[in-house]
Amino acid sequence: MSHRAALLVLVAATLGTYAFRAGLILLLADRSLPIVVERALQNVGPAVLAALTVNLAVGGDGGTSVDIDAIELASLAIAAIVGLRTKNLVFMLSAGMAALLVLTEIF
Amino acid sequence: METEATLTRHSRVDRQAVTDAVPLLIPAVPFGFVLGLAMTESDMPLWAAWLSSPLIFAGAAQLTMVTIAGTASLWAIISAVLVINSRHVMYSAALAPMFRTQPTWFRWVGPFMLIDQVFALAMLRSDREPDSFRRYYVTTMLLFGTTWNVAVPLGMVVGPVVPEAWRLDFAPVIMFAGLTLFAIKRVPAGIAALVGGFVSLLAAGLSDRLGILVGAICGVVAGAVAEQRITALKSRSEADL
Repeated sequence: MSHRAALLVLVAATLGTYAFRAGLILLLADRSLPIVVERALQNVGPAVLAALTVNLAVGGDGGTSVDIDAIELASLAIAAIVGLRTKNLVFMLSAGMAALLVLTEIF
Repeated sequence: METEATLTRHSRVDRQAVTDAVPLLIPAVPFGFVLGLAMTESDMPLWAAWLSSPLIFAGAAQLTMVTIAGTASLWAIISAVLVINSRHVMYSAALAPMFRTQPTWFRWVGPFMLIDQVFALAMLRSDREPDSFRRYYVTTMLLFGTTWNVAVPLGMVVGPVVPEAWRLDFAPVIMFAGLTLFAIKRVPAGIAALVGGFVSLLAAGLSDRLGILVGAICGVVAGAVAEQRITALKSRSEADL
């Protein structure tokens, strides 16, 4: 890839990404939205995060098969139980990673 | 001049931001290492690959960019990056109400680092007072910005040293699963998450991580439908009384 082409990619990707991130914040900052829309926006976080989690878990980057094994699923379940009980991300991460390492070692 | 009470409040917000951010920073480090390593093997000039960290600041998109550089056309690379980052439009929409009460400079600067983790943490603390929210957001933004821009260059040097057996590649999945769990505070949000996750699973075969966007849109629509149904049921039962 030439330096000129790399610069073009960099500029376009930077401007495009910033436009995605800032666009609606700047556009909607000075006006109130209908209550229905405001409520719908509260669901954006959970919906996006769930979609992102699943996509990362199954390696959803164009592959056709689901790429998560039983050990990973079990570790995720253990992490979820710990997360629900403790409401603490550090404990949840530690439990999930520990379970993954131990289960991988056993099986 | 800032009063002692203000300083105490600021330091409390800072501590909260650091505590919340640390679990998410940990998985970002190996990811940064992997990206740094990929940059050294990319067909893209090193200066441009490295500059993508402070400018684009989006791991998945950057990794795609440096991986397909040299094998894809310019427009394919740009499109891939933008498709992957298109989910940020929804982050922008979701955070718009919180930014409405913020000063203009912050509305322009804040979105620059609106990555997955910053969005998730900002949503977690969206009920804060405007100045506390801003301080919290800026603190997390700086933490992630600094970590990322240290981890990626470090990855260029020491990336290959992290043993694969540590399975740090799975850490982000656990972290995002936790953030999803903690973000569900109402029934419609739970339905949005369930549908979003399920559709994302069905759409996992789509390239450029488009499944995230498809799943998210379906989840938001399902959440809105659930919201309407619940409101209608409530008003019907109130009318019956």
